[in-house]
Amino acid sequence: MSTNIERQVEEQAKVWSGVAPPNAASGNFTRGLTEAIQGFERTRGQLGFEDEPSSFEAALQETKERTP
Amino acid sequence: MTAARERASALTRLTLVQACEAVQRGEVTSVALTEAALDAFKAGDATINASIALDREEALETAWGLDKLRKAGRQLGPLHGVPLAHKDMYYRAGKPCTCGSKIRRAFRPAYTATAIKRLEDAGSITIGSLNMAEFAQNPTGHNAHFGNCHNPWHLDYCPGGSSSGSGAAVAARCIYGALGSDTGGSIRLPASMCGVTGIKGTQTRVSRYGAMPLSFSADNVGPLARTARDCARLLRTIGGHDPADPTSSTEPVGDYEAALDGDLRELRIGVPTNFFFDGADPEVQAAFEAAMKVLESRGARILRLAIPHMDAVNTYASIVSRVESATIHAQWMRERPQDYSIQLSGRLYAGYAIPAVHYVEALSRRGPILRALGSEVFGKVDVFATPTIRMKVPTLAATDIDAGAPGAIEAFGVISANTRAINYMGLPSVSIPCGFDGKGLPIGFQIQGRPFAEARVLKVADAFQHDTDWHERVPVRPG
Repeated sequence: MSTNIERQVEEQAKVWSGVAPPNAASGNFTRGLTEAIQGFERTRGQLGFEDEPSSFEAALQETKERTP
Repeated sequence: MTAARERASALTRLTLVQACEAVQRGEVTSVALTEAALDAFKAGDATINASIALDREEALETAWGLDKLRKAGRQLGPLHGVPLAHKDMYYRAGKPCTCGSKIRRAFRPAYTATAIKRLEDAGSITIGSLNMAEFAQNPTGHNAHFGNCHNPWHLDYCPGGSSSGSGAAVAARCIYGALGSDTGGSIRLPASMCGVTGIKGTQTRVSRYGAMPLSFSADNVGPLARTARDCARLLRTIGGHDPADPTSSTEPVGDYEAALDGDLRELRIGVPTNFFFDGADPEVQAAFEAAMKVLESRGARILRLAIPHMDAVNTYASIVSRVESATIHAQWMRERPQDYSIQLSGRLYAGYAIPAVHYVEALSRRGPILRALGSEVFGKVDVFATPTIRMKVPTLAATDIDAGAPGAIEAFGVISANTRAINYMGLPSVSIPCGFDGKGLPIGFQIQGRPFAEARVLKVADAFQHDTDWHERVPVRPG
């Protein structure tokens, strides 16, 4: 898994952004992405896109502190 | 100690609000406060390395002008005559602004940050710029270009980041208050590790115009100071809509200081039963529970409850700022990656491979998650509290990624786990000191409220500080 993710990241970063691995330590950060990937796997189906237009800023207003 | 040094030490031990009042009453001059702060930096910087640049002459000249105004019966505002210093990522027209980096070492912005302008318009004096993590991107205080900032309670330990110099300088009584910035905890982490008070407001509460961008979705401008009351004054001064930052909220800014009445009767405080205590150090847990007892003794009720969707929050929070900062730094990462520290270029690099669909998913879930929080948490409690950091303050050596310290990358994630989740939610959050660990390093806890409930979280923090003296403890000044 680790080797695979490092290779994938290297390819993606190079093809899409023209960025090369800056140092050996970057591999350690790259391997850390597996935790995020697993997190996304676990959250599948829990929350979905909303049909109606909305935004985070609107949610801040909806849930804000109301002064009496 | 000479009489002059004793006098200077007494001045630097004042809180920001006390210093403002002393100037207002004519008991002390702005020149005296500014000289005391500059001298405190001179004494402390050799060991804690909290500042990047101080401008003695200009600061004293400004202080002299403010004293002259006061003698003429004029006061600019609620911060009249009080010296401040800020994280070196706030633009001041024509002044160097390094952002803690080699890349921006020679950068001189053409305009001034709104937060700085508002503080100066209120009468404060900007005496210099403070050390920080490179481009505000580590939670420990390491800096490969300007030298690590050190914790004033013990020089071997992290001061917290990314607003490392702000936390260390306020704790060491070099300065009365400082701006930090908070994208994943960068105000609250140094506040917790250094034993001071720090607040990030609701996302959009403070203008970000002229503040170095890290992550447009999660960046916050906010203060670190000695007390909740100090933070209330600073946040009120910088808060509010700014036409130069269209993302800043038009929600009115309250009189936060007026809300600090110490009355916690019937206040419902939530304590999470999930996520925030996972793997927490027993000493941190004990200090936190003792803090809850203090709040209970003031009439608050503690309710244990689950915070919804925390697995999702933790996952989404981990990628939003990573993608946005990778985007901001793409050109430099292509052209001069060698000019970054190993830690930062490595962290940025991973961001280029996160698929856009997941980034958009992470952003799109913020609204629904916040609404779930509104009903499932804030329908039952007024605020919720957690440890700011689950672990005890680590040493600089144990978290030095550039030096190859084993487990350092994982430690970075643990340090900011509790704070970055709050950034994703967009809630106001204040961190205050609540004890010390066995090695004498501070422990802090953070209090969150509904969006725009800055007055309420500050009220709880202030009430806690009425009954405790953790925030009054002063590290023995290094050097």
